Amino acid sequence: MRSGWSDRLRENWVIFRQNLLGKIGMILLVCFGLMAITSFIPPLIDPMYDPMTGVDPEIISSTAPSARHWLGTDFMGRDILSQLLAGARVAFMVGVSAAFMSIFLGTAIGMVAGYAGRFIDTLLMRAADIIMVMPTLLVVLILSSLFGQLNIWTIVLIIALFRWPGVSRVIRAQTLSLKNRPFIEAARVAGASHLRIVFRHIMPNVLPLAFLYMTFRVTSAIIIEAALAFLGFGDPGTVSWGMMLQWVWKTGHMFKAPYWLLPPGLCISLITLSFYMLGRAMDEVLDPRLRKEGQAE
Amino acid sequence: MELRRYVFKRLFQIIIIFFVILTVLFLLFRLAPGDPVSRMIDPDMTAEDARHLMEQLGLDQPLGVQYLYYIKNFFTGNFGFSFHYGQPVIRIIADRLPNTVLLFTTSIVLAAFAGVFLGKIASWHKGRSLDTTMTLGALVTHTLFLPWLALILIWVFAYKLGWFPINGMISEEIWLDPNAGLWLKTLDVAHHMVLPLGTLFLIHFGSYLLIMRSSMLETLKEDYILTARAKGLTEKTIRNRHAAPNAALPVVTSVGLSLAFSINGGALTETVFTWPGIGRELVFSVSHNDYPLAQASFLLIAMVVLLSNLVVDVLYAYLDPRIRY
Amino acid sequence: MPLLEVENLSIGYHTRKGFRRAVEKVSFSLDAGRSLGFVGESGCGKTTLGMGLLRLLPPNALITEGRVTFDGTDLLDLLEDEMRKIRWKKISMIFQAAMNALNPVHRVADQIAEAMMAHSPGMQKPEAAQKVEALFQLVGIPKNRMRDYPHQYSGGMKQRAIIAMALSCRPKLIIADEPTTALDVIVQDQILEETRNLQREFGVAIIFISHDIAIVADVCHDIGIMYAGQLVEYGPRTEVFDHPVHPYTQALLASYPALTGPRARLQPIPGEMPNLINPPEGCRFCDRCPGATAACRREAPAWTAVGPGHHALCAQCR
Repeated sequence: MRSGWSDRLRENWVIFRQNLLGKIGMILLVCFGLMAITSFIPPLIDPMYDPMTGVDPEIISSTAPSARHWLGTDFMGRDILSQLLAGARVAFMVGVSAAFMSIFLGTAIGMVAGYAGRFIDTLLMRAADIIMVMPTLLVVLILSSLFGQLNIWTIVLIIALFRWPGVSRVIRAQTLSLKNRPFIEAARVAGASHLRIVFRHIMPNVLPLAFLYMTFRVTSAIIIEAALAFLGFGDPGTVSWGMMLQWVWKTGHMFKAPYWLLPPGLCISLITLSFYMLGRAMDEVLDPRLRKEGQAE
Repeated sequence: MELRRYVFKRLFQIIIIFFVILTVLFLLFRLAPGDPVSRMIDPDMTAEDARHLMEQLGLDQPLGVQYLYYIKNFFTGNFGFSFHYGQPVIRIIADRLPNTVLLFTTSIVLAAFAGVFLGKIASWHKGRSLDTTMTLGALVTHTLFLPWLALILIWVFAYKLGWFPINGMISEEIWLDPNAGLWLKTLDVAHHMVLPLGTLFLIHFGSYLLIMRSSMLETLKEDYILTARAKGLTEKTIRNRHAAPNAALPVVTSVGLSLAFSINGGALTETVFTWPGIGRELVFSVSHNDYPLAQASFLLIAMVVLLSNLVVDVLYAYLDPRIRY
Repeated sequence: MPLLEVENLSIGYHTRKGFRRAVEKVSFSLDAGRSLGFVGESGCGKTTLGMGLLRLLPPNALITEGRVTFDGTDLLDLLEDEMRKIRWKKISMIFQAAMNALNPVHRVADQIAEAMMAHSPGMQKPEAAQKVEALFQLVGIPKNRMRDYPHQYSGGMKQRAIIAMALSCRPKLIIADEPTTALDVIVQDQILEETRNLQREFGVAIIFISHDIAIVADVCHDIGIMYAGQLVEYGPRTEVFDHPVHPYTQALLASYPALTGPRARLQPIPGEMPNLINPPEGCRFCDRCPGATAACRREAPAWTAVGPGHHALCAQCR
């Protein structure tokens, strides 16, 4: 099972590299990654560049881009560029952690459902059905009405709790097809416990698929967090792109300050686009039928 | 007939799902930290009214009995009183529901038709510039952040160009005017609907276009298309009568699967455009701690999503004879 | 004059690895009302040949030379519009893997009626429906199944419907490409029997393409053996069967178990077909031929007469 794993990886990388969409997606993501990394720099240069608390002694309202503030300032005089960079950091954090959590949950539940079968399977898949029907954003809204202002990690957790059904379905299907293969049978005969079979034999074969789905999960998590922040239900302590849009909207600057309105929304849209392109490229890698002719055989 | 049986089966499933949601919501509201009573009874109410309402909602009873009251109240439409509006919740949500259905349904139907039509065309011109433009356009519009797109549309078309109203569903002057006819009122609503509809449309049609396009390309490889060609039919007939009806099926499925996503978008659109629908009411009531209204709004939205799912499923069954027979 | 005359037809495909010469200088003729079978292993070009006659080849295919004269007209010269009029009306086709040849979202009767109405501009639906009913009766499908959808039919019924559809415009020639491959032997037998009957009744010429020489021998007056894109032997059924000349034909016949007669060892044919992108200069069967000589490898064999109406592509045959 494990042999040829690195060969396959290398082969997949070649196909991936040839894909134009994938390349663009990667480039964009790298840019955003750089943004996230450099987000630590502005406050170090001068505390007035702090995205949340930075106050420029000479500017106390929203101003257009200038030499000192490359993207201008928001209504409190805070630097928009540093907010944008911080937002990139938050986006990656939210996206990747929510994706990881939902993959983790989805894989575990999918494997259990596929392997255990019958009652447990039906129960879990019914639960998945119900959760899939629910509009995540609105559920988080209701939950925040009950539990008050949610902090960013709670939001991430709830998002993950509503995104696992999609992954679990796929993993379950894969588990079902693996369950009856000879090598599993052999392990069982050799006396391996169910737990061992699931973790040592099924999981490694199921994980690559899980990671593919991660790319799609990341974008939806980022969008949901952004929408939440936009509506005013985000974590007030974090500066996310959605939060920036909320500020520009609620403070009535949306008609007056394009330098403030445009960048955050553009970033959200572009990062969504890049993950989508990446996902499509990975799709081609994993599903040979989608490959164009002329690629690596 | 098979179709009827299928519809009933799905309806039954949906009812069960709805009951689960109903129950979970009940438990959440009763068991969450804080005083559950304060969530249902407006603290500003008179003691008399408060007690009356408490009896109606069974808030002084043990949990099991409360649940029964809850179900009964749901079926009799008693959702309590809105803290903010001071009116029975049912009246508010009944008022808002048609507005949401109007906007939501129109946007999905338009987006689906446009997606199918344009996706079909894109596949005909595969590889050429029209196709590339359409595909790129679909990709870009599909990934735009909805509230941002909405704000930009308002800024450009309502604020700068003044072609459309900035928000709302109606112009009060027209609706308060006793002489205004139905036609004028309809036109007024339509005028207000253009931007929110446009926003939803732009965000959604892209994905349908992409699906239809790849579906057409796949379908055109099928054996029955070769048969159609051998029969001497024109290319146009083959694409429209033989390929497209098959290729459109995955789009229908996709509409069904993305309904939850669409309703999120609907709520966001309503909020930005101040369109008086249920989505906006939910957002509004949550931010104002109007619990009875929030709960009812959420339930109603859940119902809308579930029923839409049913409609899409039935539509699919109608379009694909393999399901029906 | 023969109904169909094919002269030196060559067809190739543009592939990533080069231009694959799938059909090479094939010539034959077919009289009205007669049936001709093409036999060969997969990849020998028989399907390409069939599709080429109707000009239904995929976009990367190219007819490099040859002439296809049908009823006096050169089909390869026609414009697409004119070709469309010939399709189904004069020449119809029954495809390989016919299981998926019917559109799943249209009723079976409608699809047959569509074919008829496309070629008879004046025909209206009721008239077409009547004709479809008659066709169904002809092929043995119960009338009450007319309004059904393809997925509701069994394999045999689908095949019958497809045959009915192929006959619907009363064509002069039907090209049947592996029409019975997907069916079980009993149904296969029935379909073949019906095909024979229909052919007699309608006087339609048939080109029958199969990898199974036994089936072809059952139904066809004349047989053509194809190998590596070339026609290697051709003649009346009895001739080819009783006096096979080309080593490939002999090997094909030997690789079949006989139900009667002494038990003989099955002889599989060793080796594989040559690469058709760079085919060998000489005989293409050399590598697998027990009697190959150096001359065979060097020079392309000639199309030699070896009996009444019987030819073979071999330098050594006698």
